[in-house]
Amino acid sequence: MRTVEVLFVIIILLGAFIITTQFAVLPSPSQAFGTNLRELSQSTLETLDAQGTLSETIFKNPLAPAWGDLQKAISASLPPNVVYNLSVYDLSANSQGVVTYQLNHSISDAGFGADSDAASLMLTSPNVTFTQDPQKVGESTEQNITLYILNCSDANGWWITGYTGQSLASDLYDLLSPYFTNTMLVSSTSDLGLLLDGTLLPAGVESVNDAVVVNTFGEAVPIPDDYCVGGSKQNEGYEGGSYAKFCHTLGSLTRQYNWTWVSIVGYPVHYVSNTEEFTGPNDQNGYGIHGMKNVGPAGLTAFLRGLNGEDYSNIDGYLHESVGDVTFNANARKSLNYYGIYPYTTQTSTRALQDSILTRYNLNVNDTELFNRPPLYPTYIPAATYSHDGGGALTAIGLARIPDIRVAALALLMYYQPTVYRSEFGASGTSRLVTLQLGQQGGT
Amino acid sequence: MAGATIDHMISLTILIAALLVAMTTYNGMFATAVDYDRNRQVANKAVDLMNTICLSSGNPTDWGETDASLLGFGLQDPEAGGYALSPYSIMRLNTAFNDSQLVYYGGTDTYYNNISTNYGDAILTPIGDCVNYTTAAELLGINGTYGFNVDVTPTLDVTVKQNSTAPNLKLNVTVYGSGMPLSGAALNYYLFHVESGTPCPSITRYPTNPPGVAHTNSSGSVDIEFPIDADSAYSFVVYVSLGGVNGVGYHISNSVDDNTFIVPLIDGYEHGKLNLILAHSGEFLHPGEEATANYNASFYTLTSDFQLQQCVIPNSAGLVNSTAGSYITTQIPASETGLLVISYMANGELGSVIVPWGVGALGVSASFGGDPTGYDFVATELRQVNINDISYHVKVSAWKLGS
Repeated sequence: MRTVEVLFVIIILLGAFIITTQFAVLPSPSQAFGTNLRELSQSTLETLDAQGTLSETIFKNPLAPAWGDLQKAISASLPPNVVYNLSVYDLSANSQGVVTYQLNHSISDAGFGADSDAASLMLTSPNVTFTQDPQKVGESTEQNITLYILNCSDANGWWITGYTGQSLASDLYDLLSPYFTNTMLVSSTSDLGLLLDGTLLPAGVESVNDAVVVNTFGEAVPIPDDYCVGGSKQNEGYEGGSYAKFCHTLGSLTRQYNWTWVSIVGYPVHYVSNTEEFTGPNDQNGYGIHGMKNVGPAGLTAFLRGLNGEDYSNIDGYLHESVGDVTFNANARKSLNYYGIYPYTTQTSTRALQDSILTRYNLNVNDTELFNRPPLYPTYIPAATYSHDGGGALTAIGLARIPDIRVAALALLMYYQPTVYRSEFGASGTSRLVTLQLGQQGGT
Repeated sequence: MAGATIDHMISLTILIAALLVAMTTYNGMFATAVDYDRNRQVANKAVDLMNTICLSSGNPTDWGETDASLLGFGLQDPEAGGYALSPYSIMRLNTAFNDSQLVYYGGTDTYYNNISTNYGDAILTPIGDCVNYTTAAELLGINGTYGFNVDVTPTLDVTVKQNSTAPNLKLNVTVYGSGMPLSGAALNYYLFHVESGTPCPSITRYPTNPPGVAHTNSSGSVDIEFPIDADSAYSFVVYVSLGGVNGVGYHISNSVDDNTFIVPLIDGYEHGKLNLILAHSGEFLHPGEEATANYNASFYTLTSDFQLQQCVIPNSAGLVNSTAGSYITTQIPASETGLLVISYMANGELGSVIVPWGVGALGVSASFGGDPTGYDFVATELRQVNINDISYHVKVSAWKLGS
């Protein structure tokens, strides 16, 4: 009887052992790798298209000899034990924008076993040119808006470390001129004087009204010599020992002409600069940059008073706070993607303006704020376009040096919101998806 | 009582036997699992190394075009991006597996690395400017933990042979890819015919520009005939393309003794130019023996559509001899891929040397790294790349060092 029990135990033990070994099947150590077929496929597709040959071939008729050449090229490229299947899919989009893929043609050299992998590449037809046509600023409202970029050769900049006003003007021209019907570089302070007089006009433009004026000189603003001491318009540029009067004039003209005045970095209109006029040993900003006079915080206050239609008064007292690092808000990020401008997403704001100026000077920023306000400084605006109820606007980018000119460009585009007309990559017949599936035959 | 004891003893014996069998089997399974896991790590390391080598340019990114110290290892062409390797970085690799493969030149008292196995297939690089295996392993972060090896070989096998029966020079070009003949491939070719002159030989190019064109037949070959004598000295280079795959082949025929030729050596970089030494081969092969050769050198830059444009270089013609320290210097653009064609005349006999600046220009292969012999498990990774628009295979092998 016990022998029978022992036999039962033996059977149970052996059964448990056999069942366990049946389930615990491990791969052989030599199967730890095979050639990475996906990466081999990806590199094959990319190298075949390095000179555009693959793009040319896949848009040809399936009976064209180029397909035979492609088949031979793939066979010649891959190791003998690797089989392939190359499939080309047409892309088509319906009216709702849903893209569907339809097999156009495929070539292969053998069937696949269990071990295969694939990579794909989206290719565009060499006969198609993708275009991006921006709508001109003011076109939708039938305004003729001219972009003026201050490029004065006789002025120095400040807070634009590493650049000159002239080099920034050139970069800004490249960035923004496609969005404007007319763009003009203001090449000297005397030309700026003409602009302030309303007589600096591009061909075919009747007035300076509604223009955008970008000051690329950072915290300094070029001043025509007429507005300096002894000039014919001294009373509009200088009063009580301060050039803050000139800033008031700028604010008033911004309102009068319905301009958008753009300060690309730092505290707006903090200095005035004219290298021909300010030649004295003390005509420097306190940091060794000559050819300029310090206006101080009175400049911005005077500008805002002018913009608001108030009389000039020299009032000291800064309107800003250094709020530290700030990040683009959702609205700005949307615009970054829309216009294809990608500055670094985190910037440092040391000249964020307090939002009390909105009510004090009848300004509003609507959706033009670029950055999330820091939680510790919820009442300070790092960068925005402040438009006045009675006309005119000030774009103030209160960031620290070194300036990223793309932020100022983005601020303007967010303010005017020109539409960009693009040809669609997914439009039928313009793009095709190529997949190359590779399989390995035989052992690894 | 005795029966019960026997029963217990039998059952205990069987139990112990079953346990022993189970432990042995499971131990084997665990060992297999550990081996598999370890091999998997090596395989992943091979993929990592391949990605780093092929998809990063290193630091500085243009290290192949300078003799600057290397701070990061990678072979990607910084201008092309993607799966394209720098033709210059590969030339700075120390491909010698041991010191006996290095070339000593007494004229500069310097050892040089020859990326090719023969003289005359590549410009020799001073060993001090080369990146050796240990440095590369350190920069890749695997020194002492993993070994690796990189093989860069052209995808297409293009062979050129001279047809000996024809009175005029007739060359047979055969193109193979992955072991199969490649029919219908388009050929762009140039022949550099060396002609005697006084005192230096001259080079006549057939055709001048654009290059000659031909196509391979169904067996992957084609005969090309030139209106020159079959016994002439010449260099021939042919670029092959089909369906996005490109290859290159070349052939040299000299009337001069095989031991006489000109050896180009790198002598540093200067303002975007590569300083070159042109030395007599006697200094390498028969030191101490006096020998001279008149030479005529031309540098041709290679365009993206495989056309050659001649570039003026200093000291393009002269006399070079094998006396120690006696050599000619010249300059070529450091960032322009091309071919240096040197014709020479020694004792009235003619010959030529054709060497690439940038490995792709002449389809040079290279192998760099350690020796995997003796390791149980070596993982390999294969990718397709372009070098100077010439298709190459890159194979990276990796293995675990130590126990």
